[in-house]
Amino acid sequence: MSTTWLPCGQYHQSYAEDHSWWQTRFIKGKMILLFVILFVVIPLFADSYGLSICNQIGYTILGALGVQLLIGYCGQITLGHAAFLAVGAYTSTLLVLEFPWPAVLVHWGLAYPISIIAAAFVAGVWSVLFGLPSARVKGFYLILTTMAAQFITVDFILTQYVSQIGGRGQAFSLPPGTIRVGPWVIDSDLKVYFMMIVLVILAVAVLANLLRSKVGRAWVAIRDNDISAEVMGINVVKYKLLAFFVAGFIGGIAGAFWISNLAAISPEHFPWFWSLWLVGVILIGGVGSIHGTIFGSIFMVVVIEALQLAILPLADIYPKLLMDFLFIKEGTFGLAICAFMIFEPNGLAYRWWQMKNYFNLWPFSY
Amino acid sequence: MDLFLETLTTGVMVGGIYALVALGWVLIYKCSGVLNLAMGEMTLIGAYVCLSFYSMGIPFLLALLFSLIIGFILGVLTERIFLDRLIGEPVLTVIMVTVGLSFFFKGCVEFIWGTDTRVFKPPVFALEPIHLGPLVIGRVYLWSFVAAIVLLVIFVSFFKYTRWGLAMQATADDEMAALSLGVSARFVYAIAWAIAFMAAGVGGTLLGNINGLNISVGYLGLLVLPAVVLGGLNSVPGAIVGGIIIGILQNLCGAYLDRFFPGGVKQIAPFVFMAVFLLFKPYGLWGWERIERV
Repeated sequence: MSTTWLPCGQYHQSYAEDHSWWQTRFIKGKMILLFVILFVVIPLFADSYGLSICNQIGYTILGALGVQLLIGYCGQITLGHAAFLAVGAYTSTLLVLEFPWPAVLVHWGLAYPISIIAAAFVAGVWSVLFGLPSARVKGFYLILTTMAAQFITVDFILTQYVSQIGGRGQAFSLPPGTIRVGPWVIDSDLKVYFMMIVLVILAVAVLANLLRSKVGRAWVAIRDNDISAEVMGINVVKYKLLAFFVAGFIGGIAGAFWISNLAAISPEHFPWFWSLWLVGVILIGGVGSIHGTIFGSIFMVVVIEALQLAILPLADIYPKLLMDFLFIKEGTFGLAICAFMIFEPNGLAYRWWQMKNYFNLWPFSY
Repeated sequence: MDLFLETLTTGVMVGGIYALVALGWVLIYKCSGVLNLAMGEMTLIGAYVCLSFYSMGIPFLLALLFSLIIGFILGVLTERIFLDRLIGEPVLTVIMVTVGLSFFFKGCVEFIWGTDTRVFKPPVFALEPIHLGPLVIGRVYLWSFVAAIVLLVIFVSFFKYTRWGLAMQATADDEMAALSLGVSARFVYAIAWAIAFMAAGVGGTLLGNINGLNISVGYLGLLVLPAVVLGGLNSVPGAIVGGIIIGILQNLCGAYLDRFFPGGVKQIAPFVFMAVFLLFKPYGLWGWERIERV
């Protein structure tokens, strides 16, 4: 997807303007409005239910960003991303619960933030480990190895071994008050929301800047044609592994963030379904676009919630509908993916791009 | 030694079922180039339909026949509604549509039949095992293996000797040439999906007879992937050999490695094996090596 055109009659006069993120006054105003909404309006007016939906959206965005990077920008199809989220979540949990933190760090509330960073690195390295086959195989075969990553990590290592640490059996419980960031104890939806919004903005900003640098251009070249990319002097293996590392890194942050919203963590939070869900999110939002990741996350979470609300009144007549809602959710998700792939393969981001251009170029859209 | 022999035979017998489902997978891939991740849910649908008919009191073979007919119809419908519009789209699109299909099917199956384990009542096969020399084999395994082999032979002779089968072979070999000789590619795709659906249904029914039928039988559809990768994606004999090898490997790992790595070794082993195998021989035993040009 190419960039948006400037509105009629506006021109750039320096290279700095050409490279700036918010190129016109209108966009600046729009973005400031967005920030005001995110930081002021939503926390002030949303109730706990609304905030929890926002948190879910934020978690989906963080998780899907890594998938977007791998599939949309580097062309490495992955169907096992939940494994890296799980690695991040478990690393962070174990560090917070079991690591002998110096009293100073605990006092200043730094244990959890440090564990997030550590979790991100561990998940990144884990991701590179399973990205290694990408040096030799691609396409369908790579899909299979990433699926193997999911089964080996979540269904085997985490379920059978990591869950046994401390003799708890299945789940690690996170007692209230364990998760602290600086002076704040993360114990309400509102605090989780603020943490989520900061992390999402950071991740999006870093990834967007990375994508317009040398690294990002190398990734896009590999996506478009890896043989040509190699001929042009790009170290294909290095950049593919780097893509896996960054994707795992963001995934680790997502997983480590999500434990602040959970009372207990178990392998069931990261099923294969969740990997596929993340891929579905970017397909519906639009492949190869960060906007798409965000739109897709909002769309999927909101549609599922709306579906649940729509079913509630029917539940009196057909109680089976509510009981089996999980299955309806799965079925709807499947149909939504099929419908988008068949009728709108460019995703929601493409429509957004068209709309923006329509207004920018009006009245002479040719 | 007894344990080894018994594990080996069980492996071969279960592998026969895997081979049957893998054959369906390879068929779709060969004819239409679709990498199908919905195979597991297709086995589920076939198995549950057969179970429903059987619970109504219809004899097993007749119930199987009915489920084959329904599988045929569903296969053609799936191809017509979903896959037909995607000819020539990128790999990811097609794969994700099959993933979407798998969720759709799974949701339907869970909604209609629930998630409790169901068994074929009364049991289709007698419970007492058969003694073959030193070996003791459960009747279910033996009959499943026989059924799988018979169906494999029927399918293979269908490709070799019938008009439809030859048309499918021609399309798989060279679509352009087949089209110019008057073979309808769309017809061939539809038939390929129908046959895959039927093969998957039989595989699911047989597996359901062994351990009872629940949603985890759909895991078989994922096991098919290591099998076809091992044999080569577009090789029919490869699928059969791959299926049997995966069956043996799975049972041997279950018998010998379980004491070192307690838990799910049996489920994980095929995937670990596949990931390692891909590093050394990405095109499988008999798959075509694709030469890429810019």
